Amino acid sequence: MLAEVVPGKPLSLRGLAKHYATADGRVIEALKPVDLDIAPGEFLVVVGPSGCGKSTLLNILAGLTEPSAGEARVGEAIVRGPDIDRGMVFQDYALFPWLSVIGNVEFGLERKGIARRERREVAMRYLAMVGLSDFADKRPRELSGGMKQRVAIARTFATEPSIIFMDEPFGALDALTRRHLQHELLRIWQEHRKTVVFITHSVVEAIYLADRIVLMTARPGRIKTVLKVELTHPRDPTSDDFRTIERRVYADLDEELAKSFRMEGRDPDA
Amino acid sequence: MTAASAPAGQKPGGPAARFYRQAAKLLPYLYAAVGVIAVWWAVVLIAKPHMSLLPSPLLTAQTFAQLVASGELPRDAAYSVFRVFSAWSLAALVAVPLGFAMGRWQRLERVLDPVVELFRPISPLAWIPLAILWFGIDEGGKIFVIFIGTFFPILLNTIAGAKTIDPVLIRAGRILGCADDASLFRKVVLPAALPQVIVGLRISFGTGWAAIIAAELVAARSGLGYLISNGMEVLRSDYVLVGMVTIGVLGVLFDAVFRWVDRRYNWMGE
Repeated sequence: MLAEVVPGKPLSLRGLAKHYATADGRVIEALKPVDLDIAPGEFLVVVGPSGCGKSTLLNILAGLTEPSAGEARVGEAIVRGPDIDRGMVFQDYALFPWLSVIGNVEFGLERKGIARRERREVAMRYLAMVGLSDFADKRPRELSGGMKQRVAIARTFATEPSIIFMDEPFGALDALTRRHLQHELLRIWQEHRKTVVFITHSVVEAIYLADRIVLMTARPGRIKTVLKVELTHPRDPTSDDFRTIERRVYADLDEELAKSFRMEGRDPDA
Repeated sequence: MTAASAPAGQKPGGPAARFYRQAAKLLPYLYAAVGVIAVWWAVVLIAKPHMSLLPSPLLTAQTFAQLVASGELPRDAAYSVFRVFSAWSLAALVAVPLGFAMGRWQRLERVLDPVVELFRPISPLAWIPLAILWFGIDEGGKIFVIFIGTFFPILLNTIAGAKTIDPVLIRAGRILGCADDASLFRKVVLPAALPQVIVGLRISFGTGWAAIIAAELVAARSGLGYLISNGMEVLRSDYVLVGMVTIGVLGVLFDAVFRWVDRRYNWMGE
């Protein structure tokens, strides 16, 4: 158990939209205006087909991309750029290969101005949290994919952000590792009560993890459905309740996929 | 797990075992030296060339000892090393920052790249006449030639290193508290590109070392190149050979230093 638990902050999106201009002057709408409120400590999962703008949405929320319209607020503050108070876990781990495992976990702590000794203690605590205490002095390249992502999770939680964005964090892992890490992530989240926005295109993963699921559709990206998942943890993907929700989500997704395939048939550029 | 359970770069054995391992690495060099001397001696014994064409290894060794004792050889070697070192340092001072700037700012690269490509194929030796006209046969001219010879390998490798940084590492750095460009450079860009920069520094030292001899052959009153050209003029081929051997041995030594630095700072692995 960790000493101090800093609870998550709420996140509110108002008319958040993004469009790009292509080289020949056309405007591509990547994300239609989104309005959404996320409660402090909520686990929100965004599901959608590729090209639905879910990564764009996450990059805007993290402050890595500017929105074309609207605003996002974390607590009271409007998101204007990246901030160490908003953590992010990337699909391809994004560990710094020149640093040891513990060096990676300490990176954000050092940026926060925490003294060396305390930094090390905190980092060791978070490595213990993900079960990697014995690997503190290893290099990232010596670890398996699942272990790398655990290091990245430790690195993100160690800076005590009030909200954590996860961009398909388990997308590159094999099914078994993926299951294990989903379970671990839930345990850590329940302990720390951070607000989490998690992106995936796995429907089962979404239902397994989420308090609420946001279903997005492609071209242009917009929210189709918001769905509360009221099952208690740990959830059983083979249970009838789980299956019922799964059917509903797939029904919505299939409708949209059919629509976008029809569109592709009509428009050779799409 | 399997990859991580055997720690890389750590082999068993105490200091004695480590000494033997290090010594064993030098064996190929020893074989090479013995082989070359054997062939050399055989040629001298069989063909019996005049002393001014090819002296025996023994006579060369005697001359070597004489030149060391008289202080001539250390002085010439020191001149050559000093020239390469100062020109190479100057080149690094200009090329490393410029390389980072060109690697990170596409606009600057677009402007400067054609200039670089125009000058790069010109051998540093082609600059010797102009160097003599502009700077005379004193230090300035030779340092200028070496500067040209070492500048491009450093520049091109630094550009490549700065350009090929995985963008997700940049995003991770910004998320983890590198809010401004300066801290992002120090904590992410610089360490990410460092192995490639070291490659450039090492390669360029080699080209500089080759070029200084050529520059001193043409115009100098000191240095190993001068020792060689002077030996030719006074028909003392033993001087020539002493100069050549010294160039070879010093070259190997410098490269060993760079290899050591490379091992220490290269996070890309063995």
